[in-house]
Amino acid sequence: MNSMVIEVLTPRYAMAWYPWAVQYFFMIAISYSALMLTVPGLLLGKQRFLLLAKIALLVSVSCTLVGPVALLADLHQPLRFWHFYANITPWSWMSIGSLLLPLYLVLVVAYAWLAWRPAMQEQAQEEGWMARLSGWIALGQWHSPRWMLILSGLGALVFSFGIMLYTGAEVAVLQSRPLWHTEWLPVMFVITGLVAAAGLVLLLNRLMTGNDEDVNRQGLTVIFVGMILAAVVAALWLTEGITGYSPSVQEAFASVKNSPQWTAVAVWGLLAGIALVLSAAVLLKKQSWLGFGWLVGLLALHVGWTFRWMVLMEVQTVAKNTAGYYQYAIEAGSYGFMGIIGTFGLWLAALLIIDILVPWKKGMQVRAR
Amino acid sequence: MDTMRRALLGQIAKLTAGAALVPLSSIASAGINHQPPRREGDPSKRYAMLIDLRACIGCQACTVSCHIENEAPLGSFRTIVSQYEVEHEDSGDIATFMLPRLCNHCDSPPCVPVCPVQATFQREDGIVVVDNDVCVGCAYCVQACPYDARFINEHTQTADKCTFCAHRLDVGLLPACVESCVGGARIIGDIRDPNSQISQMIAEHSKELMVLKPEQGTSPHVFYLGMDDRFISRPDAKPALWDVRGPKGEEMGYEFHGH
Repeated sequence: MNSMVIEVLTPRYAMAWYPWAVQYFFMIAISYSALMLTVPGLLLGKQRFLLLAKIALLVSVSCTLVGPVALLADLHQPLRFWHFYANITPWSWMSIGSLLLPLYLVLVVAYAWLAWRPAMQEQAQEEGWMARLSGWIALGQWHSPRWMLILSGLGALVFSFGIMLYTGAEVAVLQSRPLWHTEWLPVMFVITGLVAAAGLVLLLNRLMTGNDEDVNRQGLTVIFVGMILAAVVAALWLTEGITGYSPSVQEAFASVKNSPQWTAVAVWGLLAGIALVLSAAVLLKKQSWLGFGWLVGLLALHVGWTFRWMVLMEVQTVAKNTAGYYQYAIEAGSYGFMGIIGTFGLWLAALLIIDILVPWKKGMQVRAR
Repeated sequence: MDTMRRALLGQIAKLTAGAALVPLSSIASAGINHQPPRREGDPSKRYAMLIDLRACIGCQACTVSCHIENEAPLGSFRTIVSQYEVEHEDSGDIATFMLPRLCNHCDSPPCVPVCPVQATFQREDGIVVVDNDVCVGCAYCVQACPYDARFINEHTQTADKCTFCAHRLDVGLLPACVESCVGGARIIGDIRDPNSQISQMIAEHSKELMVLKPEQGTSPHVFYLGMDDRFISRPDAKPALWDVRGPKGEEMGYEFHGH
């Protein structure tokens, strides 16, 4: 029986998650990824990764502080956030996340505080209000042994795995949206997070520390390897759909096959990914171009953010129950554009306040061409 | 959607409608994203709805009466009748298909376990409700529902959905949509009572009943009689609604494609 069907009457459904969600997922992924980048330099004490670790620590702390603000803003009743702790719900991934997140935040801040403390204590010896402030923040001149740094770093690392798991699982368990319902989504969040974190480190390396060559090489390597892994994961996901191994992936293909907007997004993602992996490879090959690492960093940030925009916002334009796609136009106000700009502004403020208060560059030896 | 897949889904829809009638005891489990225990409501009952599509004329009386009864904001609906124009490709004959949609009060509701604050829960009588004094408006349940039965109420800024008019059922009244249905297409009742009209109709039409999106494994408790299996999942249809925006991008209204 062949027939043409036209949907004559159906309601339009609003977006349930706002761009705030994209901002949270972006910030928190950079936060845990940058934390991983601090491990060789700060926890394992490898000297050649120390500079990378110092920049990554700044990136991790600033994003850890700002991410939860965006998450709070995505609630329609932000002042009811305490309900999470009054009604603990161990069977909900989001509730588990609400328990993990504050502990993770405290551990990351403790880790950074311990790492920056010797320099703060030194600054406290000087004259003026900054010295006095440093003294207060350092909580006195007592010596903090290295095991405290290791312990808080390891603790933060353990909780960061919890954050990776919950942010991925929270979205991937939703069978109602086939584009989300895949075990590859949490993996992809982590990989693209790592790419974006390395990108931000490259950018700050150019803007704040004098474009160190080793950091550029290390950051570009992370981006290159990350993008290769992302390509493998994307290929596996596609194969699951093409071979029919996963009905959910097949359904995901079917749900977007007739949308020109989706085709455009997929093509853009593919082109940006290829451009990123090629530019990282070229810079790694041609040592004299390493100084342009920050440009690749910007592209890496774009890829990391766009992946989250595509996954969290664009997927919501696919109707679950009715034909067609919803048109989504970013609003100008705090539910849209201002929210995005505002989160980045808050992050910049956090970064600058830390930069003013904390002599995090102390003893840094930068090697640039 | 190809014919094979459609036929298969149709079979699942029928089977699932049948399976739902086996009384399921509380399927509480401690695992993540598993159904929590039910609470409140009459444990001796299991409310369900049967919609006789043969009697639906698409007048939207249910949509309007629900809107008035439950004070949903303009543009948000707890129930609506989707309307489709179906044209036979060879003969050119045109028919209209009406599909009333509402919360399916599933036996395994995916919206319930995701709620991080236990604001949304399933009553012992099967009705899925939201305590909007507790709801934080995270909209996780809105994402989890495969039927788009939930929305964030712009007045309360919390999750909102069809409750089978539990406030009316509890005092012996019919839900607003059932009360106002001119064709008598919506039948609500207790499927644990073998003498209820719904139980008798289910027994009579058990082979023809279908549910929406059976492949999601949600075990919906809104059963459709006279259903066309092309519509049980996201229909392979041309969307005809286009929103019209003014010069400043503000929404002005809708208009049919091609008119």
